[in-house]
Amino acid sequence: MPTPSPARMHDFTVVSNEQIARGVYSLVIEAPKLASMLKPGQFVNIRVPGNAMSLLRIPLSYASANPETGTVEIWYAVVGDGTERMAAWTPGFTGDLLGPGGHGWSVPKDCRRALVVGGGIGVPPVLCLGRELSARGIAFDAVVGAASSDTMVGVHEFERAGAGTVAVATDDGSAGHHGFCTDLLADLLARNDYDYIATCGPGVMMKKVADAAAAADVFCEASLERMMSCGFGACSTCNVETVDGMKGACMCGPVFDAKKVVVW
Amino acid sequence: MAVDFGGVKMKNPINTASGTFGYGWQFSELIDVSKLGAITTKGCAAEPWPGNPAPRMTEVPGGMMNSVGLQNPGVQAFASESGPWLSELTEAGTSVICQVAGHSTEEYVRALEMFCELCPWAAGFEINVSCPNIAAGGAACGSTPEGAADVMRACRKVTDRPLFVKMAPVRIPEIARALESEGADGLTVINSIPGMAIDVRTRRSKLSKPTGGLSGPLCHPIAVRMVWEAANAVDIPICGVGGVMTGEDAAEMILAGATCVAVGMANFIDPAASLRVLSELEEWAASQGVSDINELIGAFEC
Repeated sequence: MPTPSPARMHDFTVVSNEQIARGVYSLVIEAPKLASMLKPGQFVNIRVPGNAMSLLRIPLSYASANPETGTVEIWYAVVGDGTERMAAWTPGFTGDLLGPGGHGWSVPKDCRRALVVGGGIGVPPVLCLGRELSARGIAFDAVVGAASSDTMVGVHEFERAGAGTVAVATDDGSAGHHGFCTDLLADLLARNDYDYIATCGPGVMMKKVADAAAAADVFCEASLERMMSCGFGACSTCNVETVDGMKGACMCGPVFDAKKVVVW
Repeated sequence: MAVDFGGVKMKNPINTASGTFGYGWQFSELIDVSKLGAITTKGCAAEPWPGNPAPRMTEVPGGMMNSVGLQNPGVQAFASESGPWLSELTEAGTSVICQVAGHSTEEYVRALEMFCELCPWAAGFEINVSCPNIAAGGAACGSTPEGAADVMRACRKVTDRPLFVKMAPVRIPEIARALESEGADGLTVINSIPGMAIDVRTRRSKLSKPTGGLSGPLCHPIAVRMVWEAANAVDIPICGVGGVMTGEDAAEMILAGATCVAVGMANFIDPAASLRVLSELEEWAASQGVSDINELIGAFEC
């Protein structure tokens, strides 16, 4: 039979849950087994109780996992009823999640320098990748985009993780370049010799990153978001159209070879 | 707790709704699937189907709506990839019902012939004449007694093994009678209910198609009513499906006349939902003072 999802049920306890930018929270949970299993780019599917009318779990990426403290840090944007209820969680709250889901980034073995591009709440999966690149001694630069400076996350964390350059863009010009973060790619690609580009954010942004990577002939991966029901390969709802046909984001992704993605 | 669902032996009445349980093995690392009475695998057609574009799912209050469009690898790939695990599951005492997909009577017959040849371990087959996501405007060939009977008549000639029909949530008594007269061994009541969800800012459907199939607890009272209508209309057994989240929900189905009960959307929220429903159902049966669950089938009093 094909390989089932690595996802298992984990109980967790909330350690902290704090706002880090306008509408964006950092949730730290204690889930020791999960913390030792997660690989950058994977996701968890969290149950958010409290509304009998809203039943499905919420799939979320994570920003960091620490096997030593047994904790996992998840950044989420408050966009609806479920994440609003999450924002009210206080330390000591207990719940359960399914994870880790899917597979993460596939950094080429001989990679010497990488570029990561994160937009909005798409930053966490490329931030935890940046930390891993640093730990493996691989140099990397980061591009961070946001609607405005007060919703932007990840810049300081990328600096602390050892990024060579952290280039910033905002839609309203309140921080860094006034415009799309993809405007900054041409310069970075011209000045550096990248072996790998990783991106997560809005579909339009990721497509621009993928096109720039293809033009520069650099291997590029993208982490895609879809409406998801189960998160472990049973429901066929989180489909991504690829050159090899429809692929479930939860089992064949969420990280895809950017060249294979047909519909972002 | 054992029941006989139209020739399929079940050690307990809990089944899984097709499309919510993959091909079973997706749950193999999460729960002991062999504790279930039966599982129903996601529909497969004679040829692979790509399914519908994204988005295929939107959450609605009290449930969800999907437009998967029966994406499947085709019977041949299904049998070679999932067959060995499903065969072992059968040996462990859980019956496997394979759902058959098609666009026309010819396609159902072709797929069923392939299933019969390639899946000797299958206890029976469920013909899905009611997927709301593969025909224009949500209409399906199972929406009329004539359409459903045509498919059943042709499929009955293919095999003597147990054949079930997954019914559309319309005209239940007359379609149930038509299917019984064409030799169906049992009925699965109901498939998801055609619905719509519109994003009023963009004026677009929240799915890639105008309509989708509603499922989840919001459908449960409708499903119970339709199980009751079907059970009153025919003598063949019914599998009750629709928003079963608890043992109490399953008990309602049984009292309304279902011989077995399939857990659907609940599998997505909690992979162990089917086993929890089973243990809660066992507690309920014990509380009713019966030694045999069969005594409670259709025991609804009004």
